[in-house]
Amino acid sequence: MVENRAQSAHVGPGFWSVTAVLGLLAIASIVFWYWFPLEQYLPAAIVTARQVDTLFRFMAATGSALYIFVFGYLLYFAIAFRVKPSDPPDAIGVQVHDNHRLEFWWTLIPALFVVLLSVVSVKIWYEIMLEPQNGLVVQAIGHQFNFTFRYPQINGEITDEMHLPIGVPVTLNLTSSDVIHSFWVPAMRLKNDTVPGLVTSIRFTPRLTGRYQIICTQFCGVLHAQMNKQVLVVEDKASFDRWYQGWQVKNAHVSNALPAAGGAAVALTGGSAPAGQTLFAQKCSACHAIGPFNQRIVGPGLKGVLHDPSHPDLVNGDPATPANVAKILQTGYVGSLGAMPNATTNGLSNQDIANLVAYLDSLK
Amino acid sequence: MSIESAQMTHAGGIAGHIHPEPQGFVRRYVFSIDHKIIGIQYIITAFVFFMLSGLLAETIRTQLLNANGGFVSPETYNEVYSVHGSAMVWLVVIPLLTGGFGNLIFPLQIGARDVAFPWLNMLSFWIFPVAGLMLFSSFLMGAPTAGWTEYPPVSLQGSAGTSMWAAAIFLVGVSSTLTGINFVVTLVKMRAPGMTFTRMPLFCWGQFATAPLLMIATTALAAALAALFMERVFGVPFYDPTKGGSPVLWQHMFWFYSHPAVYIMILPAFGIISEVLPTFARKPIFGYKLIAFSSMAIALAGFMVWAHHMFTSGLAPYLQLPFMILTFAIGIPTGIKIFSWTATLWGGKIHLTSAMLFAIGFIALFTCGGITGIFLAAVPYDLDVHGTYFVVAHFHYVLVGGSLMGVFAGMYYWFPKMSGRLLNETLGKIHFWLFFIGFNGTFLPMHWLGIEGMPRWVATYDPQFEFWNRFASVSSYVMGIGILVFFVNVLWSIRAGKKSGPNPWNGRTLEWMIPSPPHYYNFKNIPTVYGLPYDFSHPLPYTGLEEELTDAPPALAAGAH
Amino acid sequence: MAVASIAHGSAHGDGADQLYVETRELRLQGFLLFLVSDCVLFSSFIFAYLYLRNSGQGWPPPGIKRLDVAFAAWNSVLLFGSGATMHYALENWKHGNFMKYMWMLIFTIILGAGFLGGQAYEYTHLIVAEHVSWWGSGIFGASFFTLTGMHGFHVFVGVCYLTVLLLQSAAGVYTGQKYFGITAGTLYWHFVDVIWVVLFSIFYLI
Ligand code: HEA
Ligand code: HEA
Ligand code: HEC
Ligand code: CUA
Ligand SMILES: [Cu+2]
Repeated sequence: MVENRAQSAHVGPGFWSVTAVLGLLAIASIVFWYWFPLEQYLPAAIVTARQVDTLFRFMAATGSALYIFVFGYLLYFAIAFRVKPSDPPDAIGVQVHDNHRLEFWWTLIPALFVVLLSVVSVKIWYEIMLEPQNGLVVQAIGHQFNFTFRYPQINGEITDEMHLPIGVPVTLNLTSSDVIHSFWVPAMRLKNDTVPGLVTSIRFTPRLTGRYQIICTQFCGVLHAQMNKQVLVVEDKASFDRWYQGWQVKNAHVSNALPAAGGAAVALTGGSAPAGQTLFAQKCSACHAIGPFNQRIVGPGLKGVLHDPSHPDLVNGDPATPANVAKILQTGYVGSLGAMPNATTNGLSNQDIANLVAYLDSLK
Repeated sequence: MSIESAQMTHAGGIAGHIHPEPQGFVRRYVFSIDHKIIGIQYIITAFVFFMLSGLLAETIRTQLLNANGGFVSPETYNEVYSVHGSAMVWLVVIPLLTGGFGNLIFPLQIGARDVAFPWLNMLSFWIFPVAGLMLFSSFLMGAPTAGWTEYPPVSLQGSAGTSMWAAAIFLVGVSSTLTGINFVVTLVKMRAPGMTFTRMPLFCWGQFATAPLLMIATTALAAALAALFMERVFGVPFYDPTKGGSPVLWQHMFWFYSHPAVYIMILPAFGIISEVLPTFARKPIFGYKLIAFSSMAIALAGFMVWAHHMFTSGLAPYLQLPFMILTFAIGIPTGIKIFSWTATLWGGKIHLTSAMLFAIGFIALFTCGGITGIFLAAVPYDLDVHGTYFVVAHFHYVLVGGSLMGVFAGMYYWFPKMSGRLLNETLGKIHFWLFFIGFNGTFLPMHWLGIEGMPRWVATYDPQFEFWNRFASVSSYVMGIGILVFFVNVLWSIRAGKKSGPNPWNGRTLEWMIPSPPHYYNFKNIPTVYGLPYDFSHPLPYTGLEEELTDAPPALAAGAH
Repeated sequence: MAVASIAHGSAHGDGADQLYVETRELRLQGFLLFLVSDCVLFSSFIFAYLYLRNSGQGWPPPGIKRLDVAFAAWNSVLLFGSGATMHYALENWKHGNFMKYMWMLIFTIILGAGFLGGQAYEYTHLIVAEHVSWWGSGIFGASFFTLTGMHGFHVFVGVCYLTVLLLQSAAGVYTGQKYFGITAGTLYWHFVDVIWVVLFSIFYLI
């Protein structure tokens, strides 16, 4: 019925002027979101934070434009098409059942919009994924109810503040010693859960100096609300080094800096201890310190794993031999201390295992 | 005559038989097998649970009046929102929309005398209050604290009430599954002659899309809960990583249910809106087929997007993308509905009754919640706001602004059918405006609270967020008072409300063709259906209804066998 | 049930039969849907098992022996055999061979009970000789005992149901047209069989 032209000219009193007003409002809202000073409320501390802001602006602008139309027409129709006191009591509306042209467009346009939004989101997702792999490794470990941090490439000790030098790409490895937490820095627009038994990682590059809040966003127990006082400090390289050294001096009595990797016997053919050391920093140090057995992070300290007479057996009861250590790395082990992931989960090749065992063997 | 008409079609010849009228109070109102009584039982029970969980919500808001809390201890606070969320979802919205309105209305709308398995229906109902009491009684032994999602390992540490929680939810799950089976069979087999699928009222379509979700998704949740229960009580390791289990496994199983569950909570509400709008706009619903079809599409797609709740859980990154895009795609069928409803208003003769106000309010608020859902589905953005008040804002817009508004629209619309009396319209409008304003005041600020850094599940928060939290809390009291007005209205109208007669709204679906409240056998003669109910310019598309409003006794009870 | 009482009180036999045929269709569909949701329950646990199996330390986990395929295979033969006898039981019923039907049903019950016996033996062996337990052997014990136990419980319920069916048939409860109980029993039994095929492959073969 509505198909014919005479009808569509009678879309209703004021339809086109309402449409024009809604159009203007929609444009205004798009302009608003385009200019909205987001960073004034929340600084964008890392490079990709600005991409996320762009995505937000895009969605907020299109979303509110769409909403203005839906809500505007809704309000307008509800008011304009009320029954009037002058109408007969059995008055009925225009008996239209559908309009295929209209339905076609309002299916197609959202579909196209979904495609566009997917492209935008995937692009920004890709930029987050493309952050450099080989940056400064930092580990954050969730505990009930705080985070601790380690800088395995510098030295394996535990700090309770997280400092980052500006402009240096960071690989943040996350794990937990008890339940699931989530590491969120609003200023980074980025978060990830810390899952016990799993190491997940996110990568980013700090771009603004400042002190930012780290907040736990996964319920983790009674004091979850208080797990948000940790700070992330971004500063220039020099102050970063100063902080790190100062901190080391302060904690000198517990210091156990990495011994230089010696050329000790290689148990599994072809294992290279230096390569193992690098690998250890990337893949193992989230859970293991290079310290005595009872220096636990998630798993036991591994300094004496092969050469400590007071620790003759491995956690699984096997004698501490290189072959048995290799086996634990291969198969993983779940014992009273927690879950040691297997080679697949850790992403270790046989060569990696040989390197790691060579490295562990070199620690005396 | 009605035996013959029943034989003309596959649709429920059994409907041609009338049960003997149940005798005695217990048989009629307590262990009733009449779908209408069961529906009302569901509605009353669910509203009692709604008051309780609403008071828990007000406890949350009162705690959050001050940045350092102080109303209840953090431990209690955690119990309060966990039970609030669980109860609102499983004891309020799902039972109201499926067991409640579903039972009450759709068998009438398809011209059936009851659901396929009345006894099973009674069983489903009676499991529900028992499970509800179990859930609330968990407060006595230390209620669950890890939210309605109860992620392990922290839920493994929770107090004894967590096991009680798992058992209670398992039971409501059983009840839902049985209801789902019952509804599918009823809808497939028991439609009146001529009531083809494409002539079914849209509320029935809403139930038809929901019932398989109840049947399938709920069972997956049952497995997850059983495993959690076994792990907590017998120490059988599934989720504990120190014993080789995987906490992420729970998340997969939970969300495989709980994402479809959000559509369980919205599709029947869509159905209610699709009934209320044409009746009060006095116009056919715009795009009947697409609305019906999009419900099915949403239900189906709902099974393929669960991992959008797990973008930060350590999922392999490449898996995030298909889930993201599929989630976006759900906006398309939902948009079709929103646009069709809006178009239904165009050119109508609109009566702004309370039911209609809630229906229009539904479209306004649900659309807002749906759009923020699309924000959350975009992985990079979710990595920012997951676990914050932005998510809380999203889901209250769809759950309170959507499902609950739908429930209220349904209450104003069908209350006369349940009770024979109208709800008071003035009180209804006061209810609407207090609720609508209070609602936006409560949940709109949560969007920016979340974006600026306020996490969920916190009993205390950073003082910089105090202003908007207070604003939200005060608004939530306004909303509470609005709901109080509604309860007063119901209690008053049930005794002193205006008599409604069979069809106060000039509705055209079958439930309006019979007395209010209907006889226990619904229809004296099963009608035959000739077309869609939404054609106001045509005569009613039914025959065989002549005797319904007369005093003549039902033909079959007089011995037509 | 109220409907049944009408069926009895009715003077018109075919009215009651008509009613039976129609309720039968409803019940059949309801029962099939019940099996669908039961199937989802199994599938969820199977998913959980496969998920855990692939995220852990290799399978079977260190310290646990592979399951004994040969014994389980023989035991499965009992169950599959019972599927066949149940099929013939229903066929014989449909063709009116009452005695053959009864014998087939009895075989089914015996084979089903035999399967349960075999499973009990296997459990005892695992627990006593290999110290594998439900809660003490990590995800291996958890998934193995939960899934096979759930299946065993289904077989047990089935055996009980078939026994009731046997007694009812002897008492003449079912007739040439009205035998929904037998159809349902057969469907259920086949369902339990099919689940076992899946469980057997994922626990013993891969
Ligand atoms: C359908 C579901 C539903 C409904 C209707 C509601 C309704 C409300 N919800 Fe809730 N909510 C959830 C589902 C729902 N919620 C879920 C699933 C969660 C997540 C839980 C989790 O994280 O695990 C949640 C969490 C949640 C939080 C976050 C808690 C946290 O993370 O720390 C908050 C905070 O404000 C909140 C508030 C409210 C309020 C104010 C209402 C109001 O709309 C309630 C209004 C109702 C009443 C007020 C009761 C009736 C009125 C009376 C009996 C009259 C007397 C009362 C007064 C005069 C005050 N809800
Ligand atoms: C009734 C319940 C309900 C409904 C219907 C929805 C609908 C949707 N939800 Fe929501 N959701 C919840 C209840 C619900 N949700 C709950 C309870 C949670 C939190 C659980 C917890 O953690 O405790 C949650 C959480 C949640 C998340 C996880 C957030 C996180 O924890 O990080 C996501 C992410 O994708 C999401 C997305 C969506 C989407 C895309 C829709 C879509 O279905 C919305 C579709 C609608 C529209 C899009 C609007 C109308 C359409 C148009 C006007 C057309 C044009 C638009 C486009 C084409 C884009 N929801
Ligand atoms: C997610 C945490 C985690 C990661 C990552 C991890 N481990 Fe472990 N590891 C553990 C835990 C927990 C244990 C102790 C298991 C137990 O006994 O309960 C352990 C045990 C061990 C042991 C046996 C120690 C002993 O004293 O017997 C060795 C060797 C070991 N890990 C090496 C490694 C190496 C090499 C890597 C890196 C490739 C690594 N681990 C990565 C958690 C981890
Ligand atoms: Cu840690 Cu919340
Ligand atoms: Cu979802």
